[in-house]
Amino acid sequence: MPADMLPSVMDPESLLSAIVDSSDDAIISRDLNGIITSWNAAACRIFGYAAEEIVGQSILRLIPDDLHPEQAVILAKIRAGERIDHCETTRRRKDGNLIGVSVTISPVRDRAGRIVGASKIARDISERRRREESRSHLAAIVDSSDDAIVSKDLNGIITSWNAGAYRVFGYTAEEIVGQSILRLIPDELYPEEAMILEKLRAGERIDHYETTRRRKDGNLIEVSVTISPIRDDAGRVIGASKIARDISERKETERRIIQSEKFAATGRMAATVAHEINNPLESVMNLVYLARKQSSPRGKAFAYLQLAEKELERVSHLARQTLGYYRETGSPVKAMLHELLRDVLKVYESKLRSGGIAVDCQFHDRRPIMVSRGEVLQVFSNVIANAVDAMPTGGKLQIQTRETTSTQGEGVQVTIRDSGTGIPREYLDRIFEPFFTTKGNLGTGIGLWVSRQLIEKRGGRLSVESGTEEISRGTVMSIFLPFVPTTPEAGEND
Amino acid sequence: MNANELEVFREDKPFAAVRGVQERGARSKRSAANKPSILVVDDQDIIADSLLDILNGAGFRAVVAYDGASALRLAELAQPDYLLTDVVMPGMNGVELAIAIRNKYPATKIVLFSGQVGISDILLQGKHQGYEFELIAKPIHPDKLIDRLKGIQGR
Repeated sequence: MPADMLPSVMDPESLLSAIVDSSDDAIISRDLNGIITSWNAAACRIFGYAAEEIVGQSILRLIPDDLHPEQAVILAKIRAGERIDHCETTRRRKDGNLIGVSVTISPVRDRAGRIVGASKIARDISERRRREESRSHLAAIVDSSDDAIVSKDLNGIITSWNAGAYRVFGYTAEEIVGQSILRLIPDELYPEEAMILEKLRAGERIDHYETTRRRKDGNLIEVSVTISPIRDDAGRVIGASKIARDISERKETERRIIQSEKFAATGRMAATVAHEINNPLESVMNLVYLARKQSSPRGKAFAYLQLAEKELERVSHLARQTLGYYRETGSPVKAMLHELLRDVLKVYESKLRSGGIAVDCQFHDRRPIMVSRGEVLQVFSNVIANAVDAMPTGGKLQIQTRETTSTQGEGVQVTIRDSGTGIPREYLDRIFEPFFTTKGNLGTGIGLWVSRQLIEKRGGRLSVESGTEEISRGTVMSIFLPFVPTTPEAGEND
Repeated sequence: MNANELEVFREDKPFAAVRGVQERGARSKRSAANKPSILVVDDQDIIADSLLDILNGAGFRAVVAYDGASALRLAELAQPDYLLTDVVMPGMNGVELAIAIRNKYPATKIVLFSGQVGISDILLQGKHQGYEFELIAKPIHPDKLIDRLKGIQGR
């Protein structure tokens, strides 16, 4: 720009004054007594005083009372010709509100070089302080969250890891930050991560997605994850934040509820069907029996009817076991488990005696338990019948009861031990499956299946140990029943 | 069937109400006297009638009723050694019948017989009054039923 076109007003002093006035920072000067001598427009905005109000007043008007001593220190420094750079402190506005400021104070000298006052540039940092506070507040929230909060870049590399993530996955931040997120994902779910990254790149968010993740110890956990893209200032997706909640417990509860609903539904169906099946079966069985008795033992009809009877017996046995007592949950009653065991043993008395089986009972349960009598009788009867079948050449049947505390609470533990043939290891996992039997045509594969359901329905546990080796031959069935049923369904009292 | 004296037992089913009573008189006193008598009660005719034949063929002297009230009146005539009764029946149920018979004829051996689930409440009512009876689940093979009956000890 040619020099002659510069506006004439733009002498160096006016230029400085214009710069001072257009500054965003408060620029204030004062003399060595602390009396304000100049005041720019930004000072007016930041502190609320107009120049007319404040010029000639003490600088202490801007300083909170508790910080007045600070002022003496500053003045001493100024007198010594020192400069104070970016000192963060607090000042008071005209309206009384306190604001955070960063101040730079420099001595002002006259032409002779004597210090005659100070200039003070104050920048309002309240906003920055608020941002910092809210950031540390957010960081505290993230760190105190029960959920795992993790961020990763678009290559799936973990960039941050909170305390919740340590609790959920077992890795410390030091171990995992910088590693691939795939360390948390079971091998078979790798394709899932590719799908997630693709969605994120497209800027999509994934809400409450239920999946499985792997902990540091290798255990799998069920999690619900919400994944959102992280963008830079320009709006580009640069990574993702991932919030994962461990829902293993909730899933377990869900499974239990579904299971108990199944029990209830099966029970209702069984009740309806039982009457319609058991009575006709009784009739048909009786009629076939009578027909056989009436037919000539040497005739074909006799043989046919005999077969029919055998088949009917199998069906009847099944019907009794699945439908007979199945829903006798009617009203649980107080019962002593050892008394129920005695009742069952009475039924098997002649079989035990003729089979050469010695019975040894040690009953130490002293408190009654709330149970459905029919159901428990059925369980004991199934287990004892199995024990008897396992000892075709005789043996020893030991039955013990004792009160105990387990993870399911206080209850009674019943152990029924036989010295029979034992269950081969490969069958142990299967004996509670429906229709699995080791007894060939003699078994239905229903007994233990129903038994376990009946016990678990009341919040108890039925487990098995067995040995087929010479030294440890035999089977131990353990039945635990809590004094107070723990499933939602079993809440009813009598 | 000689039904003259039986009509009183069940008005809606005079000829069916009780079967088997006539056999007491029809058979020779010698053989009949040694056989234990059993009163079978079931509202399902086929079950009751087939059991009658089965038990008669197995050394019992059986009589049949199809409801509790008829059974109670028949018991006065027959004074049975055994009572085998269904539990869920219209009118008087099996437990009520069993309690009445136990009070009148304490020597009668009583067995309840049911294919019905959810009878625990009925059984419980008896238990609250201090009565407990042996229970057999239907269906059961006739041979096993006979064994169970013969194995029952008196009170």
